[in-house]
Amino acid sequence: MKPNSHTAFQPRGSEVIVEADYVVVGSGAGGAAAAVTLARGGATVIVVEAGPWRDPHDYAHSTYGALRDMMDDWGATITRGPALWPVVQARVVGGTTVINSAICVRTPSDIFDEWQRNFGIGDGGGGQFAERLWRWQDQLETELCVAETGPEAMGRSNELALKGDAAAGYDGHVIRRYAKGCIGSGQCLQGCTEMKKQSTNLNYIPETLRRGGGILSCAAAERILFEGARAIGVTGHFNHPQTRARGAAFTARARRGVFVAASATWSPVLLRKSGLTHKAVGANFRAHPGTGVFGLYDEPVDMNRGVTQGWASTRFRKDGGLKLETLSIPMEMAISRLAGGGRVLMERIQQYRHIAMWVHALRARTAGRVDVSFTGRPVVRYGLDVEDMRRFRDGMLRVAQLHFAAGAREVVTGIHGLPYSLRPDQLDVIANAPLDPRSYVAILSHLFGGCVMGKDASVSVCDAEGRVHGRTGLYIADASMLPDNIGVNPQHTIMAMAMEVATGALK
Amino acid sequence: MCDLMPASGALPGVGDCDIDAFLTKLRAETTALTWVGLCLAALLWLVTPVVTLGVPLPALLLGANARDRHILALTSTRIYLLRQAVFLLKMYASMCWGQHPSVRSHFNLAAYPVDPGTFRTT
Repeated sequence: MKPNSHTAFQPRGSEVIVEADYVVVGSGAGGAAAAVTLARGGATVIVVEAGPWRDPHDYAHSTYGALRDMMDDWGATITRGPALWPVVQARVVGGTTVINSAICVRTPSDIFDEWQRNFGIGDGGGGQFAERLWRWQDQLETELCVAETGPEAMGRSNELALKGDAAAGYDGHVIRRYAKGCIGSGQCLQGCTEMKKQSTNLNYIPETLRRGGGILSCAAAERILFEGARAIGVTGHFNHPQTRARGAAFTARARRGVFVAASATWSPVLLRKSGLTHKAVGANFRAHPGTGVFGLYDEPVDMNRGVTQGWASTRFRKDGGLKLETLSIPMEMAISRLAGGGRVLMERIQQYRHIAMWVHALRARTAGRVDVSFTGRPVVRYGLDVEDMRRFRDGMLRVAQLHFAAGAREVVTGIHGLPYSLRPDQLDVIANAPLDPRSYVAILSHLFGGCVMGKDASVSVCDAEGRVHGRTGLYIADASMLPDNIGVNPQHTIMAMAMEVATGALK
Repeated sequence: MCDLMPASGALPGVGDCDIDAFLTKLRAETTALTWVGLCLAALLWLVTPVVTLGVPLPALLLGANARDRHILALTSTRIYLLRQAVFLLKMYASMCWGQHPSVRSHFNLAAYPVDPGTFRTT
């Protein structure tokens, strides 16, 4: 493969064979950070990405287009468990960094304490491991232009959240994001056509190529190749992003090592399909399930004007496992969350301009599992237990309280069986809402685990340097290695961990 | 889908928003699983008036008011899988309706440019 080269979909025919020092599977937060670190260390790198490479001028504008062009399987991956909750992941060069809100939160100190105590990882929040990750995060913040959203881009929904926060005392803050100069176009979830969001397709992947690397896009890795216990490459097929036609076979050979960074759902699948059948592969899958509460205001909010996510509070993170945020979703998605159908639904839609949507994400204690379906796709087995559901419900209550503190007339929870909207004097209805997960419309964002790191090889897949137990030259460098969820947006932690793993591999 | 989002006052219904073209495009572009899910959801809507209204007729043979009551009942049924099936229908009906220029204009939103659907080929 020539330096600085990109090979997209290739039709059936002769096999594409490439070789480099390292092969990195996945180009999202973990894969791109690992790839650029390896390239900066002087290694040649080939990135293998299942999705196509879309530049900002290729991004979709509508929700339909975003599902079609950006999301894994049209966003149709859902949990198998008591409730069917969607699992949000992108399938494009840049991975989920293209469609998230680019929220930057440093790894909390208590997470390092927990990793040390529970998994034998690192040396706690005051130790060297934490210091190293935070230094990577310093570097990331500089390189990816992290900044608070300016007041001119906030929009009314975020302004109302700040107002509610001031009244309710939630100790919230304006979110820091990898999006300096954000103009508040409200298009984070479809990809930022303004090129403000620093998704990895705009920076670390191009830099990896400039430093002599290459990328195969539309190239789904199907199996890791081994020579004895040593990983020597990956093999798979190209898939056309529009027709889904299966194209040519490819093999990417790695002289020094293979990095798996295909996501918390796909990394364990790739390992399993490659013959790593240890019970820890796919285990300990975790997430931050979350849902939104609509506030209905007398004034027009026009939540799609302004930054998608501009305000957050972590005040209830340690006690309740909750992170509260604003989140403005496109109108098409918001409407489908309004209860009812027919004439009743259309009457409710009339209030759309007066709706602000704020959400909570729960640091759920429940662990799930990722298996491989008969079609070779991830099967996510996941369902919250009663205690998590209590905290989940509590999160909705706190969001509702914030809306009322900001002046909302009513809130709309979307909880099945409850009245469509509730007034301030009806908050006890939420507090006593059913704990059946099927009563809630929720999603799983922020995915973790499946190939977790740990000291004990009997219950983990890799060590703290990402090295897969019992294999050589095989590394995990994405959210799948994180042994627990962290209660804050994970991109910053994933990228720092990937850089740490890549640096270790270069030694 | 047309029953889910009928015209109301100044708001067009999904039937006024090029639904046929939308469904043709969706069928051509989406995954088989999504399309089968939508067809099953539509089938469930068709055969369940006996459950929601106690009327042993397919939904297509009901009058407008009865169909409206039927779709409203389906969206709030206690049967989770049925509720989810209707949610799937509503999600795609909302996409068709919400991306239509007349609807976006009604809510003071700029019309969506065409989704390019392009990607790097070299």
